[in-house]
Amino acid sequence: MSSIGGVPFYILEFGDELVYFTPYTITLFLLALVFTVLVILSRPERQVDIAFGGDAYTTKQILKDEMRFRRFMSIACGLASMGAMVTGDIFNFTLFTAMVGITNVGIVAAVKSPHVQNAAYQYGLVALSATVPLFGAAAVYAASTGSLSMIELARGTLPAVPIIAKALLVIGVVGEGMAPFYAAKAEMFRAPGAPYVIMCSLSSLLIFLRVVEVVMLG
Amino acid sequence: MIAELVLATLFGLLLLGIHRKVIARIQRRPGPPVWQEILHAAKFSFKTTWVPATASRALFIGIVLVAIGIWTAAFFVMMTGGSLLVIFGIYMLHKIVEHAFGLSSGSPYGKFGGVRSVISAASEIPLFVSVAAIALFTRSLTLSDIIAWQQVHGPLLIIAFPAAIAMYLVLLSKMPFGPFSIVEAKELVSGYKTEHFGVWRAGLEVCNGLKTTVLLATFLLLFVGQLPIWWMVIGMVIITVSLSFTCAITPMLSPFDSVTIQSLFTGLMLVYAGIVFLGVAA
Repeated sequence: MSSIGGVPFYILEFGDELVYFTPYTITLFLLALVFTVLVILSRPERQVDIAFGGDAYTTKQILKDEMRFRRFMSIACGLASMGAMVTGDIFNFTLFTAMVGITNVGIVAAVKSPHVQNAAYQYGLVALSATVPLFGAAAVYAASTGSLSMIELARGTLPAVPIIAKALLVIGVVGEGMAPFYAAKAEMFRAPGAPYVIMCSLSSLLIFLRVVEVVMLG
Repeated sequence: MIAELVLATLFGLLLLGIHRKVIARIQRRPGPPVWQEILHAAKFSFKTTWVPATASRALFIGIVLVAIGIWTAAFFVMMTGGSLLVIFGIYMLHKIVEHAFGLSSGSPYGKFGGVRSVISAASEIPLFVSVAAIALFTRSLTLSDIIAWQQVHGPLLIIAFPAAIAMYLVLLSKMPFGPFSIVEAKELVSGYKTEHFGVWRAGLEVCNGLKTTVLLATFLLLFVGQLPIWWMVIGMVIITVSLSFTCAITPMLSPFDSVTIQSLFTGLMLVYAGIVFLGVAA
């Protein structure tokens, strides 16, 4: 662990569950925290659309109910991202990742635009399918090493993690929020409500950055 | 550390000025003076500053502070020989910063700059493949360990040449006026930064200066090893000039072509990493 994300500053144990802070995980955690605070403080922007072939332009307004729901989903997404950044347990990591996928769908599904809703629906199907390899990976980790603790895996005393477990974990994470399943959905990223849309892309990226560390353990 | 931070920012801005000058001279234009980017940062600091009426106010302002904060953290990690993953994690998060810059204003130009930033995330994947290749050789991702490994085994520039090429491509994708600079293409005015003026733009300039220094210095530390300070400076200028030549003679690609070429490089890097992995395992 010290040769991947740096020497852990602090390990917090809850029975056999644990949370640890290395320079890497704390950086990612703080970013998730900062953006969650920005979501709480920000009101959505009013997107300007230029009418094609003329000088006219319009601005899009987000209704209060829609704003409240998307803000709630964004905060939930931020909390799930923070959990995924600092957890030291493979199963908890997969659980937080699945929660990020669900909240991402919620953030964009509330937008009253058929294009955005279609994109959210398609993404939802991919995210649901991706939970199979995601939780399957956790099961293979447990079956092959006898532990789900990242600290134990990092010590190198357990049997080696099979490549298939790491591959399933990466496939699951990619399906939950990474390119090409998600980033290519420009309709979702250009939906109005910047603070909430940013949380979609941020959480996906944070989860990807964390899984890079996780697959290097064990 | 504050003095080093200020010097690194000014030096990064100077490198960006050299970049503009070299491109201009290759294209037979006089070009701006090399310290133009430093003057820009100073000038914007005293310009009238406002927040557009359509903007998401907290995000519009907050993202400037986040941009400076993440690159300050990356600089600190680089100086202390910390984890390479932190530096590259921050590099990837810069995409989110660009996305937030673009979307927060409500402007269509900024919005499309931000969207292009997210869809061009393919450019970051070769970076992680090159990181994986480095980890396979050195068995560590800590910058100080990688530097120590090179002192014993020689520079990674020779041992892991394809990984160096991949990271060079990543540097190229972050240089202004380059073939992959689709996020600030002229058809989008200034792309994601169109609506950030005054002090906000000065903050963005500071972030760009720091980012340039961190990325070029990290490249040298990773693939050449620890050098005396003046050799580091000369090395960074040489890399900047080589990037400027590439930018000057290469037209800007369309978003589709840009992502396609970066994805092709990713595929090649995955093959290379697979070969290295099999070689190490054998």
